[in-house]
Amino acid sequence: MNGFMTPQAIHIAEIYDDGEASRHFTFEPADGVKHSAKPGQFFTLALPGYGEAAFTYLSLPDAEGRFKALIRQAGSLTSALFKCDVGDLVGFRGPFGNSWPINQLLGKRVLIIAGGIGLPPLATIADQLAADKSTPIALIYGSRSPADQVLKYERSAWHMYMPILETFDYPSNQEQLSGTPLDHVAEVEAKLGGKPEVILTCGPEVMMNAVAHHFVENGLSPESIWLALERRMHCGIGECGHCYLGSSYVCTDGPVYNWQQLTQLHAQTTT
Amino acid sequence: MKAFILEDIEHLRDHLASQRQVFTPQYAEDSTELDWLPLTDKTASVTAERPVLPTYPAKQFFFPDREILFQFDGSAFKETLPEVEPQVLFGVRSCDLCAIAYQDQFFEQDPYYQARRKATLLVGIDCNQPCEGGFCPSVNAGPFIRDGLADLACHQREDKSWLILAHTSEGEALIERLNLQAADPNLIAQRNEQETQVAAEFPSAEHIETGIQRINQAQVPAETWQNMGLQCLACSGCTNLCPTCSCFTSYDRPVAEGIERERCWDSCLYDAFQREASSHNPSADAGQRVERFWFHKFSDEYVKSFGRYGCTGCGRCEKTCPGVIGVHSVMKRISAAL
Repeated sequence: MNGFMTPQAIHIAEIYDDGEASRHFTFEPADGVKHSAKPGQFFTLALPGYGEAAFTYLSLPDAEGRFKALIRQAGSLTSALFKCDVGDLVGFRGPFGNSWPINQLLGKRVLIIAGGIGLPPLATIADQLAADKSTPIALIYGSRSPADQVLKYERSAWHMYMPILETFDYPSNQEQLSGTPLDHVAEVEAKLGGKPEVILTCGPEVMMNAVAHHFVENGLSPESIWLALERRMHCGIGECGHCYLGSSYVCTDGPVYNWQQLTQLHAQTTT
Repeated sequence: MKAFILEDIEHLRDHLASQRQVFTPQYAEDSTELDWLPLTDKTASVTAERPVLPTYPAKQFFFPDREILFQFDGSAFKETLPEVEPQVLFGVRSCDLCAIAYQDQFFEQDPYYQARRKATLLVGIDCNQPCEGGFCPSVNAGPFIRDGLADLACHQREDKSWLILAHTSEGEALIERLNLQAADPNLIAQRNEQETQVAAEFPSAEHIETGIQRINQAQVPAETWQNMGLQCLACSGCTNLCPTCSCFTSYDRPVAEGIERERCWDSCLYDAFQREASSHNPSADAGQRVERFWFHKFSDEYVKSFGRYGCTGCGRCEKTCPGVIGVHSVMKRISAAL
């Protein structure tokens, strides 16, 4: 890394559209400097003139230092990024944050619940768990509509390793599952071979909180329910303050918390 | 720690100025604001009585309101660390020294902060009387300087002579050539006794103590935060003047070739402080933001990390708030809310 708050130059190596207003980007180091990262961590992209924003790894850096992200166009920085071409130079800092607790997942029945653009932060851990034959795993992926779904190619690859249920607020035909992921827990539990022992979830905070409440009410320990939070992670190093959650900084203490930790943080303040 | 006796504190100040640039609180011409300015021939003499705090704390010397982080020339990002000439801050009060110690921990890994901080020596002055609105004794931040928080701590005795405590080797080196007379160890004990007397002169801070308890026991009714949120103009006066506030944002500024990334002070009381690109805002409500601000100043959670509260009792927020939600007003309302 160049420095503390100073990005490293990286190139855009590949771009393709993947879902509503979303694109799949591959990045590679411009200076040959490689880094490693863990599932659940994030990085920042700097677009000169537009500032910097945090994104999750869709794939961890490979032997050449190449890594991927699924990015939805939402603000001015992502709008500028969507005007970039292959070969363009942007800034990178990272990796930041903690990671999914892989050692606490192996050998357990793991249910992954993703909502909308919350699927990409779960992709790297889904890849790692899929590679471990001792870990039964299933995925429920909820979206507003079929057009909003992302990670088409990744999902088709995961189909070989795990049952996947896809739900829609607005299905486009009667064969598609209607409702939220929680409306279809019984079906996925049947495919998983029993009630889940661990939940991994990422999506709108309202959805994640509902997921946590549902499984706690059904007897799962709060320490076994893991959520990846989104906050405005501006600096990534626990300084700028924008990502606070009670006394915790999501960019360094998170973004992955279990429900026990979050319950304690929610008791401190209302934000 | 070595202790010395000095008759004329200006002699020390001038001696420091012969080695480093000295900044000290003083009134600029035609100004009623006490500000941190370079020492000149016209700078007033030093007193420990009727202390007045500078409008701004010393944090701007280490964490300036604006600074360049890096430059981008179209092909590479180049870090721009500050280059700071050796300097002395002369006359820092105990509350502000506690705040510097707090920020030293908070910005421990920050090379911009550390470059400025390492170029700076701190000379503190014990406050022999309470200042208006200050409550440092209630948050263990004064009125006398805590061991190790200044390179030199200056204490004016009743006979107007000064007891100089060198807390660091850099502090000792600063005064080495003055050949000061070593102080009788009894004077240190006398200073400790005097601190108890000065602390007792402060007005009652029962509302502060009760408020701290209520915040830590999550006993403040949501309605109280809501009402205070309505009275917050989100002007950032309190966060700018607070000696421990550290939130910042950054933005890119176009320059002749490429851009500069600048960081500047931000405020957790602004409505968009936590707003994400998706419009999701975890603290969209002003009452929540006011709650979070005071939690950050008085929660025991931060004592675990920093060894003290985020408030050092300087009272600047009360003076600057154009509404009625400075520290005394807030803590009185929290105390009365049950």
